[in-house]
This record gives sequence, C-alpha cells and structure tokens, in this order.
Amino acid sequence: MPAILEVDQLVKKYGDFEAVKGISFNVDEGEVFGLLGPNGAGKTQTISMLTGVIPPTSGTARIAGHDIRTEMNEAKKINGLVPQDLALYPTLSARANLNFFGRIYGLGGKDLKERVEDVLRIVALTERADEAVEKYSGGMKRRVNIAAGLLHHPRLLFLDEPTVGVDPQSRNHIFESVMRLNRERGMSIVYTSHYMEEVELLCNRVAIIDEGKIIALDTIKNLIALLGGGVIHVGLERVDDGLLERLSALPGVEEAVLMPQPAPPPLAEQEDPEVKEREPVTTTPIIKVVAVNSQQAIVNVIGFLNEQDITLTSLEILEPNLESVFLHLTGKKLRE
Amino acid sequence: MSALSIALKDIQITLKDRGALIQLFLLPLLFIVAYSAVAAAFEAGDVDARIPLPVVDLDGGSEAQALLDALDMAGGVQVELIDEGEAQQKLEASEIARHLTIPEDFTEGILEGRTVTLRLISHPDANLESTEAVRLVVEGVAQDMALESQILASLQQMGEMQANAPPEYQEAFAAEKLISQAQSQFTQSRDRPLVTIAQSVPGQESEKEELPGTAEVAVPGFTVLFVFLTAQATARSIYDEKKLGSFRRLMAAPISKASLLAGKIVPNFITALIQVAVIFVFGVFGLGLLGFTPVKLGNDPLALVITILLIALCSSALGVVIAALARTESQISGLSTFLLWGLGTLGGSIIPYFILENMLGPIPRALPHYWANKALDDIMVRGMMLADVSLALIMLLGFTLVFFVVGLWRFDFD
Repeated sequence: MPAILEVDQLVKKYGDFEAVKGISFNVDEGEVFGLLGPNGAGKTQTISMLTGVIPPTSGTARIAGHDIRTEMNEAKKINGLVPQDLALYPTLSARANLNFFGRIYGLGGKDLKERVEDVLRIVALTERADEAVEKYSGGMKRRVNIAAGLLHHPRLLFLDEPTVGVDPQSRNHIFESVMRLNRERGMSIVYTSHYMEEVELLCNRVAIIDEGKIIALDTIKNLIALLGGGVIHVGLERVDDGLLERLSALPGVEEAVLMPQPAPPPLAEQEDPEVKEREPVTTTPIIKVVAVNSQQAIVNVIGFLNEQDITLTSLEILEPNLESVFLHLTGKKLRE
Repeated sequence: MSALSIALKDIQITLKDRGALIQLFLLPLLFIVAYSAVAAAFEAGDVDARIPLPVVDLDGGSEAQALLDALDMAGGVQVELIDEGEAQQKLEASEIARHLTIPEDFTEGILEGRTVTLRLISHPDANLESTEAVRLVVEGVAQDMALESQILASLQQMGEMQANAPPEYQEAFAAEKLISQAQSQFTQSRDRPLVTIAQSVPGQESEKEELPGTAEVAVPGFTVLFVFLTAQATARSIYDEKKLGSFRRLMAAPISKASLLAGKIVPNFITALIQVAVIFVFGVFGLGLLGFTPVKLGNDPLALVITILLIALCSSALGVVIAALARTESQISGLSTFLLWGLGTLGGSIIPYFILENMLGPIPRALPHYWANKALDDIMVRGMMLADVSLALIMLLGFTLVFFVVGLWRFDFD
C-alpha cells in the first residue's frame, strides 16, 4: 500500500520548550493508524501541524505527496480534521453548522445539500438536524463534530480524541462510523486517544507517543509482544547490591530492572498542611521483571526473595495490552 | 467566497443573540432619547437660557447706559460689562463666544443725530444662530433708542420753531403736519439708522464654522460611540471562535488567513452600517414623533456615506486590535470598556468635542472618536461638504490603517 502520510522529523518548539521532538512515521492508504499517549504527550500538536493549524518549527510531512511546508493548501483539500474541541456553533442547528463548514470547503448548491444529508445519515442525526446544537447531548455534539470533518470527502481523516466526554452509546456509534468509513469508503484515519481500548479496537498500527517522542511504533500484536512472556511489578522493602543481576539470572526471567521512583514533593510543598494531610507517596522500590514465562518467573522470584529474607510489599502481573506496553516502556500509566 | 460564508454565519449567529441585538440597535436609541430629553429640559428654561453678552462700554455716557438698560430689559441676552482687553483675551481663549463694543462717541453721536456704529465681534466657532439672535436683539433695541431720540429731538426743534414763528405761520405747526413730520422721521430712521451694527469675526477660518447645540450633537455623538462599540463584537466573535475550537477547524480548511480575518471583520462592518441606518432613521423621523428636534443629515450625502463607511471600517480594525491584544474574556471586556467608552468619552461622543477641547486642549485630537465626531458634526450640523471634512477623513483613514497593521502584527493564529 502506498503511504498517504509520510511524517519526517517533525518538531514544534515554543521558546525553549520542545512540544514535539522530531517524530517520524508513515500512514498507508486505507489504514487506521493510532497515536496513543497520555494528555500533553504531543498528539494534538502533531495533528495541528499536519492539518496546517500551526506551522512546524522544523521537519516536514507529505500528504498524498504534497509537502505541508510548500503545498499546504493542496494537502488541506485531501485531509479532514475532527478536532478535540466541539468546534461547532451552539446556537445554530446541526444542518446550519454543516452547511457552513461545507461552504468553507467550496461546496454549494445540490452537491452541498446531498453531502450534508449523507454525513447526517452516517452519524444518525438526520431526524434532529434542524435543532440547535446547544440542545444536543455531549455524544450527539461529538457526532456532528465528526460529520463536519467528513463533508468534503477527505482521503485522510484526523480524529483527535473524538470520544472525550461521550456516553457509551455514542462512543459505540462513533466506533462504528469510523470502521464503516474505513471499510466502505477506504478512508485513511489517524486516530489519537489516551484510551488504549479504543486504539486496540480500531487501529491497525499504533505509535505510542510520550513527551513529544514516539517511543514505539508497530502493530498492536507486535507491541504487546514487547511484554514478552509477561511483565511483573514486584514491590520490595529494600534492594540489595547485585539483587537485580541475580533476579535476571533466574529461570523464566528475561530481565529485572528497578522502576523509576516518583520524586518527593519540593520542601516548600512538604510544609503545606494540605500536602502533609495527603497519604504519603510510597517510596518502597519496585522492580520490573520481564518474563520469558510469567508463571515460572513468579515462582522463582518469590522463592529467591524469601531465601534472601527480603519482604514483598506488592506484586502486580500486567495484562498483555497497550496500557501495559506503555507502562513497560515509560514507567508511567497512560492516564497519569 | 470563504470570507463571505464566515461573515454570513456570524450575522446568522448575531441575529439569534437577543442581547447583542438590544445592545446594537436599541441601546443607542435609548441614549439619544435620554440625552435629547435632558437637552430639551435645559432649553425649555429650567435654567437661565439667555445668551450671555459681554459689553465693552468705551463711551460711558447717558445714551450708552440707556442702551445697556434697554438690552437687559429686552430679554434674550444677559448683559455683562467687561474691559476691552479682557474681552479680547477671553474671545481668543474661546471663553466667550462674542462681545459688543459701544464706541467712545456713542452718546454724543446719538444726541447730535449722527450715525454711530456698535461692533459685535464673535468667535469663529461661535454658534451662528446665537450670534444672529444677539444681533437682532441689539439692533432692535438700538433702533428703538435712536428712533425715540430722533423723534424727540425733532419735536423739540419744531416746538422751538413754533414758539418763535409769526402768527401767520402757525398753521405750519398743525397736528397733521407734526404727525407727518414724525412719520417722515420714522421712515428716515429705518432707511438711515442712527445706530448700525458692524459684525466681525477675528481670524475667521470658515463662515460655516458653527458650534452645534447640545441636542444637535446627540445623534452624531452616539452614532460614533455605538459604531465603535461594535468593535467589541468583532473581538468577542474572534475570541469565541478560538474558545469553541472552530477557529482551529477553519485554520485546517483550505482558506487563507486573510479570508478568515476578513470573514470576521465584515459582519461587524455590515452591522455598524445597519446600526447607523437605524439611528439616522430614528433621528430623522422618531425624534420628531417624540417631540424632539429631528436630526439633520446635512447637505452632502456622499460625504456622509464616506464618513460612515470610514467610521465603520475604523471600528472593525479596532476590533482586530482588541482581539489580538486580549487573551481572555475578561481582558476583552476590560480592554473594550477602556478603549471604546474611554475613547468615546474623551473623543466627544458624550460631552461635545468643542467643550472637551476647552478643558483638555489638544488631547481629544489624538483619538479616532474625535475625528469621527468632528466629521459627522461638520456634515450633519454645519452642513459642510466633502472637501471641508477631508482632514477628519484622512485622520480616520490613518487610524484605520494603524489599527489594521497593529492588529495583524499582534494577531495570534496559533
């Protein structure tokens, strides 16, 4: 499949702060590609650059061969954006909103009317299309938001966190719409989310993004395979010298590493009565054990620690999913 | 095309916003009615409505005193004696609008039956109607005085002649002859008055310069104030678009930044023009129905249209500046209040600019509202033509360009 989107070393800086740190990836024609990462990871900034909302500081991208630095207007005709915000005019009806956004893309007359009806059908809002958007539920607003991005029949659609604040019924409807657009119309989709379930359900390939960098990019199956035979988080009262090496040498264990400790609050904050009242952050060390065989690894690790007289404070076996992959790669949870 | 679509959408949104409609179209009319009512109350005599008339008495004789007493009794003017030097100084400083000078030989001239001339000197900016009213009062009083003096002198002369005349000539002094003589004297005094009034305006720049009355400036003043207030609507509309996220969606569409901004400016421009039309229609027809003096639209419709277009454009440009400088909703409110009400007040939209100039000197001239008010007053109240208001229009155009440049330079599209 030819790539409809080729991203090449894209950077966005605000003064000294680097929001996007030179990311590169390709999206194939007809692919649903996921950008998974926590809030503030740089997903929206990346999409904003690719859709021409903000200029990149350096690097570039090509959309169907059009360089976003030199041929952005051509690229804009090919892609569509469904922004994270409900980018709709609340006092206007859904139909008036869609008519307006259609005209912005140069549509008019019978063609515009037909396309508005078409997208209203896709998001199942034909019957309530003439009501003011402000009277809609959050989920219905999200569906109109998506419809507005489909009017000009984009070949590449950027969906930026399209399910934030949506009820389960509307969420399912959005998933169905995305799958149908991809399956029936061959639309390529870049789907950003911090909900790993959505990405797992919809996407062929996923780029995991954190702190402005892509830390992993592959199919979901291959990403989960990074967990090997499983990952176990073992909390200990102490970590003696040479403990990690000896754990790594146990049968069934591929690797044992010390997880980064959360930094204690600054001294000034520690004096704050509110901070003092909070439950103290645990500072007991946690060791991440990457297993070749998780059952064998658990038995051997617990037996070894008993022999060493080191008390376990916690034990967590990570499920084989993208959340665990993210935790495995960054030491952080997706929704932290 | 895209700009037009954005503009139409914004107009559609405005039409659904009752609060905005009240502020745009009803509030200016309420201000105008309230202001006109206050002005009418003043003009109706709740206060001393006599026109002040400083008088320089260089004669000091009995006839001069008789003239001063007669002027004071006549009503219409309030006589105040003043030194010649002080009068000149106050006139130059615009502290008085006019003064009357009684010449040194006034009493002597009247008594000898010579023609004497009173000088009425008015400021170039003095209200022409008021000056004309003063002239008519002085002329009437002076003519009565002169006529009385002439008839009395004539009758005295005839009495003396009758006393000294032989009996065969007594018929010449019969009653019908005396009446005929008095009538002839009366006609002569009208044709060749003993007292004439020389009117002059030192350093007059234009015969059309005329200070408008308080009520007359209400419609142009509030038109300027409220047209500039629509700048807030432009700023708020841009802010709302950014807050909603639709600005981001529009930025992702294949339209230029210029079209996007033009689309946000055009509705304000159109709204301002509709607002002016509503105010003027109300000023011409509505004020009369409410018992106030209807507004005049002047003698040059082209000048009026160009001025209105420029004021609306300047307001739109100011809206872009506010949108560019303000980051939050409260900043928009604060900046709008400061810029639009503050500049409107200092620029002569509420207190007439010619009064403000007396208090603040040239400060109001640094504000766009001043030039907008001056141009509208000149056209509507003083009946000036396009060429006469060219300076004000050039200044308005200058402000518009500066606002657009600053607005675009500071505008954050990200």
